Amino acid sequence: MAMVQPRNLKYRVWCARVGLWAFLAVTLFPFFMIISISFRAGNFATGSLIPENPSLEHWSLALGIPWVNADGSITEPFFPVLTWLWNSIKVAFFSSALILILSTSSAYAFARLRFRFREHMLTAMMILQMFPAVLALVAIHALFEKIGHYLPWLGLNSLSAVTISYIGGLALHIWLIKGYFETIDNSLEEAAAIDGATPWQAFRLVLLPLSVPILAVVFILAFITAIGEYPVASVLLHSMDKLTLAVGSRQYLNPQNYLWGDFAAAAILSGLPITIIFVLCQRWIVGGLTAGGVKG
Amino acid sequence: MAEVKLSGISKSYDGGKTWVIKDVNLSINDGEFVAFVGPSGCGKSTLLRMICGLEDITSGELSIKGERVNDLSPHERHVGMVFQSYALYPHMTVEKNMAFGLKLAKADESVIDQRVNDAARMLQLETFLPRKPKALSGGQRQRVAIGRSIVQQPSVFLFDEPLSNLDVSLRVQMRQELAGLHRRLKTTSIYVTHDQVEAMTLADRIVVLSPLGPKDSTNLEQVGPPLELYNRPANMFVAGFIGSPQMNFLDGHLESSGTERAVITLKTGDTVEVNCDAHSAKAGDKVFVGIRPEHISAQFSSMDNNESGKNRILTKIVAEELLGSESFIYCHHEAALGAIIIRVMEITSKPHDQSLSVSLPPKCCHLFNEEGTAFPRAGLPEVF
Amino acid sequence: MTGVQKRGSGRPWLAISLLGIIDLLILYGVTLMYAQGEIAFALIMLILAVSASWVFISHKAYCYRYVFPGLLGVAVFIVFPLLYTVNIAFTNFSSTNLLSQGRVKNILLAQRHTTGDSIYKFQMFEAIDKGGKTDKKYYLQLTAPDDQVYKTASFRQPTAPKVVKARLASADISTETGVSPLPLRDVIKNRDHLYNLTVKIPDGSQLVMTGIRRFEASSPLYVASDKDDTLVNTLTGETIYPDWETGRYTHDGSDQIGPGFVTYTGWQNFDDILNNPGIKGPFLKIFLWTVIFAGLSVLFTLIVGLLMACLIQWEPLKGNGIYRILLILPYAVPAFISILIFRGLFNQNFGEINVFLDILFGIKPEWFSNATLAKTMVLMVNTWLGYPYIMILSIGLLKAIPDTLYEASAIDGAGPWQNLTQITIPLILKPLMPLLIASFAFNFNNLVLIALLTDGGPDLLGATTPAGATDILVSYTFRLAFGSYGQDYGLASAIATIIFLIVGVIAWLNLQATKKYQSV
Repeated sequence: MAMVQPRNLKYRVWCARVGLWAFLAVTLFPFFMIISISFRAGNFATGSLIPENPSLEHWSLALGIPWVNADGSITEPFFPVLTWLWNSIKVAFFSSALILILSTSSAYAFARLRFRFREHMLTAMMILQMFPAVLALVAIHALFEKIGHYLPWLGLNSLSAVTISYIGGLALHIWLIKGYFETIDNSLEEAAAIDGATPWQAFRLVLLPLSVPILAVVFILAFITAIGEYPVASVLLHSMDKLTLAVGSRQYLNPQNYLWGDFAAAAILSGLPITIIFVLCQRWIVGGLTAGGVKG
Repeated sequence: MAEVKLSGISKSYDGGKTWVIKDVNLSINDGEFVAFVGPSGCGKSTLLRMICGLEDITSGELSIKGERVNDLSPHERHVGMVFQSYALYPHMTVEKNMAFGLKLAKADESVIDQRVNDAARMLQLETFLPRKPKALSGGQRQRVAIGRSIVQQPSVFLFDEPLSNLDVSLRVQMRQELAGLHRRLKTTSIYVTHDQVEAMTLADRIVVLSPLGPKDSTNLEQVGPPLELYNRPANMFVAGFIGSPQMNFLDGHLESSGTERAVITLKTGDTVEVNCDAHSAKAGDKVFVGIRPEHISAQFSSMDNNESGKNRILTKIVAEELLGSESFIYCHHEAALGAIIIRVMEITSKPHDQSLSVSLPPKCCHLFNEEGTAFPRAGLPEVF
Repeated sequence: MTGVQKRGSGRPWLAISLLGIIDLLILYGVTLMYAQGEIAFALIMLILAVSASWVFISHKAYCYRYVFPGLLGVAVFIVFPLLYTVNIAFTNFSSTNLLSQGRVKNILLAQRHTTGDSIYKFQMFEAIDKGGKTDKKYYLQLTAPDDQVYKTASFRQPTAPKVVKARLASADISTETGVSPLPLRDVIKNRDHLYNLTVKIPDGSQLVMTGIRRFEASSPLYVASDKDDTLVNTLTGETIYPDWETGRYTHDGSDQIGPGFVTYTGWQNFDDILNNPGIKGPFLKIFLWTVIFAGLSVLFTLIVGLLMACLIQWEPLKGNGIYRILLILPYAVPAFISILIFRGLFNQNFGEINVFLDILFGIKPEWFSNATLAKTMVLMVNTWLGYPYIMILSIGLLKAIPDTLYEASAIDGAGPWQNLTQITIPLILKPLMPLLIASFAFNFNNLVLIALLTDGGPDLLGATTPAGATDILVSYTFRLAFGSYGQDYGLASAIATIIFLIVGVIAWLNLQATKKYQSV
């Protein structure tokens, strides 16, 4: 493309640049707005983009520190945002770890071993991955209610229930890891076998160390998916201290109790780490997304 | 004393419907260097992998050092394998690559160090020990792969086309290094290659394998020292496979035969006399005459000579390849299977469609029956 | 490879004993379930445990060891819920029909009535040890109408229904040592505990507290008749029977006694969807909107995403590394946060968007109460959320188009527009197709967006179920099943079953599109 440049190129570049900046201004408007709102005093204040009287009220409440108002009254934090964030991190961490372990071992078998029904299982995984858990919430609710009769720590309103229910999302990751394994020369493991490694040793000492990049991608993808998951968590969790961030944040914008400013601070507090992780790892995540096609 | 014995080795992937390898019988002596050659799809790599233990043996018995090893793991067979892709562990240094097997076997640190250093010295790899494979050239990687096998002190070395990923000049060098290594270590070695030059130069004996046809009873075509395969190919497949460019074949039938010579009438009516013992066949049997390009003599001095006398046929030039040191002339003849290739040492360009009279010396001709089996050649010195 | 697989782990005994312990635990669980009457669940657990043990012991099943845990996860959390949902679709499972018939029968059998003719006065005593301390152990002394005195066994404060036995007492307990009578105010304090108490006297009658000073003999309201599941009212002598078609106990088929129970109702839910105007109307509207919403979402994100991809891939535009990161920011922020941000920004009175529009044009659109505006808002937000994904995919595909094509077209005199329509789009669309179908399927089930942004609203008129103008099928089922208006799991599952069929078709299309792409 570089070789063929029309005469009016400069004009066109400026047009494109202005268009792009205008688009970005509109696109990123919500982010600027939410930052501004988080520093405004009160929950119904309107004002310019840069607040005239910046206040840390919402940030203090989001961090769980009671706020002393100008008139001396004290506002207690309405919602345990940090608890929710911690819940979300726990659920996301353990479910991603589980997904990583299960999908890695399955992907190893699908990539390297030959057994009956291998093809069928793979096709079934491909199709099943299209059915999100959203469609079977009633059944998932009923399932965990039943489990709760025998194992209360794994029943309704427990974080462990949410954690293991996310295992259902592993089909996609199996495909991702399998694809990566297949790019690794099979003779490496054969060489290991000749060197005296058991299949398990060959897997652990040769294949796994070589697959760290894809394992990291799968972990991050699963982690981000779990953090943002709303439907299952909203059905399984009830009590205020058990909610995940995705379920809890909704409470801020109840028409009866509209905490717009508090929400802004909490949203930035909880959204920023995830956004930073995503941006830092975007190159690898993008590779994974292109291969799979997860989020809409 | 690591002799390898294959008896009735066969391989099938789909429970006996199609066979890749059938009934291979072979006995490899201690210290011998044997090369498996054959066109792609002949199962030579599969056979090697079966000896190694990477593929199941469907039927037959494999023994190493007189012990049946069919059901042993690769490690328990005490074999070392050098892969075509080198298969070096990319995340380990050269040293760790070589020490990996010994570490798994929980050998003493001192033993590991000593063996790795010995192997490194032997292969001139000392300076590369702390490097990762990525930082090495192709030839160095290949040496590491060999070193990794050496430290395990295997009773049999297996090589799966080890030089095919190297460029031509490096290949010649590595070939000589391998030959030197074998002279020093004297370990039984099995070497798979599709390059007959490698096989001819390295091997004590060559095993020629062919792709299995539906009616064939075995893939094993011939086993023997390199020059025996060149001079006394057992059949048309071996005759065609060994030697480059490949042997020319002429279609004809037996006119008369004896223990010393036979006379053949070609499809075109030319008669050819060959020094072969074809007394087992009778007159009128369909036969093929084979002659190597380097053994045909062409009479360029009498280009316009149209005579087609005894052991002399008239062909038409189709194409030519001038290589400098030698030239190949491709000629057309009605009785030939494909073009007749002639090697000549002159470098003169010959006009196309020109007639060319060539002579086939009876001493240099091979004779095959309809099934492709060779008749014994007569008057050949026993050394060959 | 097969030769390599035959070797198992080096410590078989450790593995086998570990497996044995796990199996024992599972077996204990199975027994528990069986004891509680959950035969189906117990059976499934048993089958799983047996197959797991086989997979991890048998050498033949070596390969399956690696896939078994993953497959189990998929089976339990995807396949089983799908099948279970289809099963519920054929029942009347809802907040009014929540329990099994057995449980309802037990509830009815537990109902008691008092006859009112045998009143027992009582007095409450507390046990006191020698040091004069109490340890919250109590007795009751009951005096029958015929002045017989009964003394109960000791009990602590019961928080759940409890039966205590009483025996004939020869004398007044108050004369005994180690007990002290409780004053009336302490009895009142213990009132709730006493209501949990059933006292059984030697003649077999059961006494329950009916007032602060008295117990009365009570008898069960229903007794089981010899016929299966039929109950007889001891007061009226009426028989009541379970009506399996509607899922309730009834006397004559028109009334309902006790809570409803879950029963199979056949195609009832599907019949409702197709023929009940209060459900059919909104269902069709929602279905149509779902398809439009998913289709337009894909179209808009495709247009914006492709345009942006082309722009930042354009070499003269320097600094595309920065542009790229800024452009994917909407995708990097967790969706639930962005959606809630928009919910706030679009708020009619306090939302910043309306503040701006008011300043600029003097209008304050009703984003959440006007159906058309709400739909527009949903599409705008979803385009904002979704375009980076298409952009990311397109960048990868654009890089794969060789530059020589554009050089050739420039020689042919093509401008940027021709390049886009004649070269870029045709080359990019085919590999993008499966991903666009996947995107359609994702948006078809994009519950998070609807639930967090509008929660379906504004409500549709004339619907007998909670249904809104921006509801898509999956948010509609979500509200039916878990909304605040009474939960109709059966109907929700029936709609979910219909969604399964649609998703199945989409999945099949996607498979075909992928194959087609891979074969080219």
